[in-house]
Amino acid sequence: MIPATFSYARPTTIDEAIALLTKHGSGAKVLAGGHSLLPAMKLRLAQPEVLIDIGRIAGLNTIAERDGRVVIGTMATHAEIESSALVARACPLLGQVAARIGDAQVRNRGTIGGSLVHADPGADFPAAILALDAELRLASPRGSRSVKAAAFFEAMMQTVVQPDELLFEITVPKTATSAAYVKSEQKASGFAICGVAAIVDAQAKTVAVGVTGVASKPYRATAVEAALRGRALTPDAVAAAAALAANGVEPLGDIHASPEYRAHLAAVNTKRAILKAVAQG
Amino acid sequence: MHLHLIYQLPAPRERVFAAMTDPAVLQRCIPGCEQMIKDGEDSYEAHLQVGFAGLKGKYRGRARVEDRRPPESYTLTVDGKGAPGFVRATSRMCLGEKGEGTEVICDADVQIGGVIAAVGSRLLDAAARKMADDFFRALSRELTPMSAAQ
Amino acid sequence: MVNPTKHVGQPMKRVEDPRLIKGIATYVDDLRLPGMLHAAFLRSPHAHARIRRIETGAAKAMPGVVGVFTGADVNDQCGVVPCAAAIPDLKAPKHTVLAGERAYFAGHPVAVVVAQNAYVARDAADAIDVDYEPLPVVTDPERAIAGGSPLTHPELGTNVAYVHSVSSGDIDEAFRGADRVVRQRMVHQRLTPMPIEPRGCVASYHPGDQTLTLWSSTQVPHLVRTLLPGMISVPENKLRVVAPEVGGGFGAKLNVYAEEALCAHLAMRLGAPVKWIESRRENAAATIHGRDQIGEYEVAVTRDGRVLGIKARSVADLGSYLQLLTPAIPTLTGLVLTGCYKIPAITMEIVGVYTNKMATDAYRGAGRPEATYLIERLMNLIADDLKLDPIEIRLKNFPQPDEFPFHTATDLQYDSGNYQAALKEAQRLADWPALVRQRDDARAAGRLFGIGVSTYVEICGMGPSKAMPAGGWEWGCVRIEISGKVTVITGVSPHGQGEETSFAQIVADRLGVPIGDVVVLHGDTNIAHYGRDTYGSRGLVVGGPAIVMCIDKIIAKASALAAHLLSVSVDDVEFRDGRFVEKKKPDNSVDWARLAGEAYIAKNLPPAFEPGLEASSFYEPENFTYPFGTHIVAVEVDRETGDVKIVKYVAVDDCGVQINPLLVEGQVQGGIAHSIGQALFERTVYDENGQLLTGEFMDYPLARAHDIPDYVMGSTVTPSPGNPLGAKGVGEAGTIGATPAIANAVMDALGPLGIRHLELPLTPERIWRAIGQHAGVAAG
Repeated sequence: MIPATFSYARPTTIDEAIALLTKHGSGAKVLAGGHSLLPAMKLRLAQPEVLIDIGRIAGLNTIAERDGRVVIGTMATHAEIESSALVARACPLLGQVAARIGDAQVRNRGTIGGSLVHADPGADFPAAILALDAELRLASPRGSRSVKAAAFFEAMMQTVVQPDELLFEITVPKTATSAAYVKSEQKASGFAICGVAAIVDAQAKTVAVGVTGVASKPYRATAVEAALRGRALTPDAVAAAAALAANGVEPLGDIHASPEYRAHLAAVNTKRAILKAVAQG
Repeated sequence: MHLHLIYQLPAPRERVFAAMTDPAVLQRCIPGCEQMIKDGEDSYEAHLQVGFAGLKGKYRGRARVEDRRPPESYTLTVDGKGAPGFVRATSRMCLGEKGEGTEVICDADVQIGGVIAAVGSRLLDAAARKMADDFFRALSRELTPMSAAQ
Repeated sequence: MVNPTKHVGQPMKRVEDPRLIKGIATYVDDLRLPGMLHAAFLRSPHAHARIRRIETGAAKAMPGVVGVFTGADVNDQCGVVPCAAAIPDLKAPKHTVLAGERAYFAGHPVAVVVAQNAYVARDAADAIDVDYEPLPVVTDPERAIAGGSPLTHPELGTNVAYVHSVSSGDIDEAFRGADRVVRQRMVHQRLTPMPIEPRGCVASYHPGDQTLTLWSSTQVPHLVRTLLPGMISVPENKLRVVAPEVGGGFGAKLNVYAEEALCAHLAMRLGAPVKWIESRRENAAATIHGRDQIGEYEVAVTRDGRVLGIKARSVADLGSYLQLLTPAIPTLTGLVLTGCYKIPAITMEIVGVYTNKMATDAYRGAGRPEATYLIERLMNLIADDLKLDPIEIRLKNFPQPDEFPFHTATDLQYDSGNYQAALKEAQRLADWPALVRQRDDARAAGRLFGIGVSTYVEICGMGPSKAMPAGGWEWGCVRIEISGKVTVITGVSPHGQGEETSFAQIVADRLGVPIGDVVVLHGDTNIAHYGRDTYGSRGLVVGGPAIVMCIDKIIAKASALAAHLLSVSVDDVEFRDGRFVEKKKPDNSVDWARLAGEAYIAKNLPPAFEPGLEASSFYEPENFTYPFGTHIVAVEVDRETGDVKIVKYVAVDDCGVQINPLLVEGQVQGGIAHSIGQALFERTVYDENGQLLTGEFMDYPLARAHDIPDYVMGSTVTPSPGNPLGAKGVGEAGTIGATPAIANAVMDALGPLGIRHLELPLTPERIWRAIGQHAGVAAG
């Protein structure tokens, strides 16, 4: 459990971090909470030449309200999101998801930004940020840009973040309480075999469903959403629509869950998440 | 792990076959390939920097072309190793005519060992597909008429 | 008289805990010696390969590297890894400390680097280039003994290590007389012990004294001291083995490993201390695994549910080579297969098989969890087939309390027992009628709710020397220091069991001294010269009586001194509450401080009285002990996902007299946590190429806090007549009683769907598939 040699930099501003990323290119890795990166380094599966620790950049863990949206700094830990009064009031789904991540130690160190950029297919937050239509704000030498959650994840552990870019904040719209996260966890790692985040808008008669853990990248269950648009959310209607939760995706299979079981859980957890969201509304 | 992959390439079979067995082309097209040295008849030594997302390792290995039947098919065996473990792959490559171009069907058996087997197995399938996709995308660029002008 | 229950029987907090909780305990990795070097092992990534060439030049050239050693450099200077199990006609490979011509499991050490720090050592190990020629691999033990299988060891000509048979009673008669034969195939999955502290050692050689000290994270410092001289050229009396703080073992550290011998050898060879600390991944791959038995079982029963006989044939996967007790573990299964029942005839054939996997060996319970799972599942299957109540069928086959000592068909003598009482107490604590109503109501509502019962008996207090490979006695020493303080030295080697506390309780009561005046030392062969260490729930049961013997000797000796000091005859002296008192004149007395002072200053001793107040003893148990109990579990299964939720857990364990009920409860709770993992999710997975897929906590699921239900804990007390403490041992009870209870509960929940038996672990997916199949709907 000894990593290969690396050098370590600890910038104090975003600009400084971007300059370091620009200088070191793909040889550099950004260290946020380190809960995925450090184990990979200790196993020598990851051997970055430079580690850029963004933990000392002031303000990166801020959780605040701005322009009618909730803004979450990339270094906000799962525990901070779980216990934030603002999140509980203005976007409770994120708090619910944060509470289901790993265990207390992981939640105290792990960060939302680190989790999103690492893009583990079993990570919990992606389900929520997809359902919430979050915007992810990236800084680079070219300035900053916003990426919609739906466009952020490219493939397993791959996102649109370029080697010289840094995800610095996530913004989500304020949402009502009609939201729920239902998760089946991989017993060893605590990652999701299937995690479903659902948001129900009773007035607009729409649901938004984000699914993680099932496929190589998280996705919106658009078939489910379409089937329920404008419909009354009765248990039967929801169950029928939820059966479409893995439509068009190629489910992952491993020693913890077969593709068929993941697809099945997608349907069950989607049904449960929507009904739970309805019940909370 | 078994992979069954199909790719379309914009060139006739003879050219595709030649490109796919040319070390210089391979070095350019294999993702992370730093060196590809021909060290025998149909045998190459390769130094690769294989990366998948943040997980990146240095591998060195030997590739062999066997059972060569130009321009229809050959078998590629790859034997690579690095600190995180080893990768051994045998892939039957079949080239078929498809319109103006070529359809390559590869049937590969991939075996991994060491740390990458223990903790990287869930990534392997995706990583192998991505590497193959990247390779054929690069090869396709290499074979399109435009690239000749560059 | 002394007050033997002032501390004994009290739930006292462990004296060990403050240092552990504060992080100021000393584990192997905390040791820093001047000039200490660090070792790193290069391990085969292949499950089976010929080693054609090892290129070490680049590694040797790295700054900070002191040496790089391969099998060719060390195997002729270190003996082979020892196996102490005596099995007739055992075929065994010669397992050298580093791989020779072949590596035969993924994780097999191929080379070792010694460097000035652990970082350089690891880098250099990566720089070693090994040319492997992969060879055919076998990982499935049943395939391994079928025709045409690759051979794990071609030189043996077979993958069969041994065939062991247990047979007693007239099995043919039993099956002829049966109304019914119940059959089931059952698989005991492979498990990884995963102690929180991996292995590790520091070896230091003193060239002047020619002595070697080995600090090792081991359960068995004395066994290591006995066996290491056979591997390296240091005589036993020049060898000191120390087990410092040890962070769990569960059997995985009941062994002598190649790495220990190699570090010792290299420390001598290089003239500097050598440290090696195992990584988690190495621990998963190259520290012993447990269980891994597959069997076919047949039970002959009468119509009313009496068991007449059992026929069993099991295949035990030994892995690729033999560690200390590898081949013996499956034979223990045969020994207790009759469980807590009167079963007149049994035959069991065990085939030990080599495969290209890590060796199996003793893991918490070692052979008994396998047996208990088998018999307890079989009892439920019999009840199902005969439409009898699972409780009733157990009661029907239990020996009566007045039949103890009870002689089993497998030639064991169960010392004492009252299985009916434990079962009844568990039913009381579970509020049985209410639990059954809860199940009925749940079922009526279409829910999958099940109740499982397991009754068990196990073998503890290992053990009588005639039945143990290398002596089963225990040694102890008690010394009243000149100050009157008491030092206790034990040959057992606690690593979580809490004997620093429980032995102090016994000693404080029997000597009548404040418990704070008693210190218990262990785990250093220069202090505890002899011992047989800690495993098989023997610490208290065998180690404790040795201490009691010492106390008796000291009191007898002190009585003579007291009589002399009190100017009365020995017959007139009585020992009472820590004082020696003249019976007729109670104010004429001496205490331990005065006695000790006189005993050591030695100016006023009776004639022929040896100075000092110290005694040591070897205690030889006549028999094993046989604790027992009943566990009752209620579960609810999620019909849609297959998830199992434990709704109620009741454990009633009878481990004889309890010295410290808090320690008993802790041991049982920890054991149940292991069992929950085994029953519901733990399994060690190798792929068909012999690659270990559960090499990290990322993929090997241990039970976590949120998996643990609220336990209802109870006990009955049936003293063991075999030792002066009446204790039976409790280190493994939880792992033995709990797994079948949970499995029986899940199968009870699924019973209404027509599901008869599922293999462990009962993962949600396995249950979901079974539900799908039995609902007539293709799963997926």
